[in-house]
Amino acid sequence: MSDPPILEVEDVAKRFGGVRAVDGASFSVARGSITALIGPNGAGKSSLFNVVTGFERPDGGAVRYDGRSIYRLPPYAIARRGMVRTFQLTKTLSVMTVLDNMLLAAPRHPGERLGGSLVFAAAARRREREAREHALSLLATFALAEMANEYAGTLSGGQRKLLELARALMLEPRLVLLDEPLAGVNPTLGRRLLEHIEQLRADDGTTFLFVEHDMEVVMNHSDRVIVMAAGRVIADGEPQAVRRDEAVIEAYLGAHA
Amino acid sequence: MLAATYGIFALGLQLNIGTTGITNFGQAGFMAIGAYAMAILVVREGWSWWWAMPVAIVCAMAAAVLVGLPSLRLRADYFAITTLAFAEIVRYAANNWRSLTNGNQGLLGYNADWFKLSFRFGNWLNDHGIHVTSFLFPLMLVSWALLLVLWLLVAALVRTPWGRVLRAIREDEDAARALGKNTLAYKLQSLALSAALAAIAGFVLAMNLTLLVPDQFDPVFTIFGVVIVILGGLGSYVGVLVASFLLMTLLEGTRYIGLPLASDKIAALRFIIVGLVLILLMAFRPQGLFGKRKEMLLGE
Repeated sequence: MSDPPILEVEDVAKRFGGVRAVDGASFSVARGSITALIGPNGAGKSSLFNVVTGFERPDGGAVRYDGRSIYRLPPYAIARRGMVRTFQLTKTLSVMTVLDNMLLAAPRHPGERLGGSLVFAAAARRREREAREHALSLLATFALAEMANEYAGTLSGGQRKLLELARALMLEPRLVLLDEPLAGVNPTLGRRLLEHIEQLRADDGTTFLFVEHDMEVVMNHSDRVIVMAAGRVIADGEPQAVRRDEAVIEAYLGAHA
Repeated sequence: MLAATYGIFALGLQLNIGTTGITNFGQAGFMAIGAYAMAILVVREGWSWWWAMPVAIVCAMAAAVLVGLPSLRLRADYFAITTLAFAEIVRYAANNWRSLTNGNQGLLGYNADWFKLSFRFGNWLNDHGIHVTSFLFPLMLVSWALLLVLWLLVAALVRTPWGRVLRAIREDEDAARALGKNTLAYKLQSLALSAALAAIAGFVLAMNLTLLVPDQFDPVFTIFGVVIVILGGLGSYVGVLVASFLLMTLLEGTRYIGLPLASDKIAALRFIIVGLVLILLMAFRPQGLFGKRKEMLLGE
């Protein structure tokens, strides 16, 4: 592809005390791709996610999103640029309604400034109306429309994962990072979630990077696979090639072989 | 009157603790800064009372930003201790910085402008057939009117998208950050707004007392404010109104229990009764008078 990659990670390091959680990881994510990030437990996948999205301060390296450095930017600034993440343990806001969860994510909302709803009354109302329409149409796509006015805490685990993805999409992201989007989701909902991801890529050209343990999902639904072990990237390529890679087999089985 | 003072004071605490989830235990300190800044500007600098008040509010807000900037990054329990310590520092400073505050001798004479106004207001009321028996009656009317206006303002603010972000921060700050919200800025705004309310409560208190001494700003004031917030229900603004009235009625009403006991024993008994009522209420209605039980259960 001639397009420059949407995300470039170079030699990123993150230490917790003496533990090198991420130890010089480098990779890039191609625009419009669905890329999987895999690796054994403790390989540093979640730490890498946290560093890239600004939730943890990296100790070295470079991170570029859309050609510009986002190294050590705060999480909110990174999210506003169009790189949005979800969490391994869903962070739906239980005591807010499903619709409020969605509206909260609406970007560029003048009413979110202190007194903004009074000072920019007309603009705030207009933005709120737009956001509501967008939110309701997304909720309809994710089969959550009937739940719009329920507390998000009443949703099932799988529905929360769907809501978290739908909520991330309210930000109109160009790159979505999903941390184990299928963990604890029943297979039917899981399939629907994967269909949505592929649909979004096809419709809007949204790029996805996701951490997943289910190898069947990884092999069938991603076009690139990045493999991490002990804080480093040990393989990077098409699913079929990665599956046969010696280093990968070693990393997964190494401890037992 | 004390109920209205506490009401305004607790309104800020509700915004911080109930809506934003930041445990501000330094509210009495912000109130002290507001009241003292007003009094010092009037007495020592000769400012007009009308100019001193807005400037004192700004002082309290600036103090909130200064305290919040380093400490709002801390976990909730550390933040609580930091703000409590801050309030005590303010009280000790007021006690010892005599050239500015006159220490425990107290500061006098900041309320001449108010008395003129109050006197005229009282006469006006008399002319209009409302018989004023107490010279404090105008202050009572003004303080209740203030409470009502501020209550409407804050209750309206938390219902805007701005308030929605605050509620999101209360529940899960990381979720709000992941959705592009600068949570530190929101927490600072919440704290500064609350400090402004504390300063206004401080003005009402100062007008009521006519003499400003540091020990009025004891941390117990904050604790009563927190009791009001919990009694009324976390996040409920109707709760603040009702609970501040109720708690003050309980506290003041128990003064007049007719028991054949020494006055010091009555004084102790008052607090025992108030404490018991609160314990019973928490046992049977843990969400507070106006809190939503469902929200409490869903929020774990």
